[in-house]
Amino acid sequence: MHTVLLRKLLEALLTLFFATLIIFALIRLAPGDPVRLMLGHPGEIAAKGTSAYDEKVAELRAELGLDRNIAVQYVSWLGRLAQGDLGTSIFTGKQVGSEIAARLPATVTLSLSALLVQIALGLFFGMVAALRSGKLADQLIRVACVALASTPAFVVGLVALALFAVKYGVYEISSDFSAARLWLPALTLGVLGAPQLVRIMRANLLTEFGKIYVSSAQSRGLDRKRVVRHAARNALIPLVTMVALSFAGLIGGAVVIESIFSWPGIGKYALDSILVKDYPVIQGYALVAVLMVVLIHFLVDVVYSALDPRIHHKGEAGREEKA
Amino acid sequence: MKRRLNSKNPASLIIGLVVLAILAIAILGAPLLAPYDPVAQNAAERLEKPSDKHWLGTDRFGRDILSRTLHGGQTTLLSSLLALCAALAIGLLVGMAAGMFHGSALDHILMRIIDVLLAFPFMVFAMVIAGLFGTGLVHLLLAVVSVWWVSFARLTRSVVLHAKNETSYAAAKVLGASNLAIMRKELLPKAISPVLILATFELGTLILSIAALSFLGLGAQPPAPEWGSMLADGRAHFFQAPHILIGPAAFIVATVLAFNLIGEGLRDRLDPYEKLEL
Repeated sequence: MHTVLLRKLLEALLTLFFATLIIFALIRLAPGDPVRLMLGHPGEIAAKGTSAYDEKVAELRAELGLDRNIAVQYVSWLGRLAQGDLGTSIFTGKQVGSEIAARLPATVTLSLSALLVQIALGLFFGMVAALRSGKLADQLIRVACVALASTPAFVVGLVALALFAVKYGVYEISSDFSAARLWLPALTLGVLGAPQLVRIMRANLLTEFGKIYVSSAQSRGLDRKRVVRHAARNALIPLVTMVALSFAGLIGGAVVIESIFSWPGIGKYALDSILVKDYPVIQGYALVAVLMVVLIHFLVDVVYSALDPRIHHKGEAGREEKA
Repeated sequence: MKRRLNSKNPASLIIGLVVLAILAIAILGAPLLAPYDPVAQNAAERLEKPSDKHWLGTDRFGRDILSRTLHGGQTTLLSSLLALCAALAIGLLVGMAAGMFHGSALDHILMRIIDVLLAFPFMVFAMVIAGLFGTGLVHLLLAVVSVWWVSFARLTRSVVLHAKNETSYAAAKVLGASNLAIMRKELLPKAISPVLILATFELGTLILSIAALSFLGLGAQPPAPEWGSMLADGRAHFFQAPHILIGPAAFIVATVLAFNLIGEGLRDRLDPYEKLEL
């Protein structure tokens, strides 16, 4: 057990290491000189072309260590990352790490609330669809799922905003992070993610219903409710991965919803920074997002090996199930 | 077993194909069918609501939204299709190589690369590319291809691993067929149909993702008649004139719906392996 978890931990660290390598390489490949960008503040730009400007560029380059060997730069960058130093924003001059940390609770709160909505909807409608398999309710749920999965998130978000904020006036448009503003984006995000869970829940339950233990329980005269409860418990285990991965997806995919509802999370912060080319913020956002995904994947592995001891012996199958 | 449980649905395949055919005719025939010039501005008819004259209304420059949507569909659909084909080709190649040489150093390296890319949520990766290299459709498509091939590679690899257990593979091996010949004649045909089913679903998801990023202003930039840039433009005026956004959005929903229905129909018909719930 411990060796398996240790191996998973090493794999996670390795993934993180390679991810930093990719991000570092992308920054290096990006057009534009970060030093000139940093000096590009209004007021200072007037000095462009003068020897004072060139001197300042060289000075800043040395200060940032950009004149050193690229491998040395990478290692020192990695060292700073390990200490939690994500650099400073070019535009605001603030620490990117603390700026992201200040916005992280908003994103995590939104994602977790959306996840709860998604799980509630997914389990309920998945169960109904499986129990009424082939009947009208199942068909309706199926149609609704396909339709919802084909609708862009921003359409759902904007329609929700137009209805609840503009028409009925029950939702306040502002950029605060408060409980009163959470429900609409959380509901929207949760509803958008539900179809996937409904489908998987339905399919898993139907597979369980087809298994021998169910027919044997039925033949022994166990009442339907109890049989369904047993089947549902077994159908839930594979859902752990699904739910965790969709949580990871929510953290990255919440950008659209954060942007529409002006939710002050990390996605909106990154988006605002992209439009002004604030490199350190973009890089910090990518690192934090990857870190969270790797962490969630690792936790899934831990939960899995606690739930199902057979996983250890079929690492390959475990990987396949994550698809 | 599961196939019997999933009620067969010829209707979804047919509806999907019909919707797709209508869309394809409308979009490819845009130069003939579009009622107006997609870039012609008309200051007298700005932000008009849908009417007999302009079925989907006009935008803030008085341009006809229906004409723009039809013309714009060409860029959007062709570029999505191109990105998908590139991702598909890379995915098939990597998946076949990893599956064929299962357990070798090559397999380990490829799977490690896939694990690393899986750690990047697609939206985050696309945002990083847009942030560092600039916004625009080309960068967006490059971002799509660089992470999207992973799902095809994983599927191909697992299909190849399945296929290697079959007698025909053993027979080919025993008869001394070369690795390349086995890959081409034995493994590729088996991988094609599940990968194509996945591709139909992925094309829908891909169009949605590109639309979302364009809506955020990271895709094609105005004034090009392209769905994404129309969305970004419509966003700014949504509360005064929702029809600017609704027009192209409706086309996106119809297109994605068509691909999802076709995917469902194909899965019910062709899927030789049960575990394809992706």
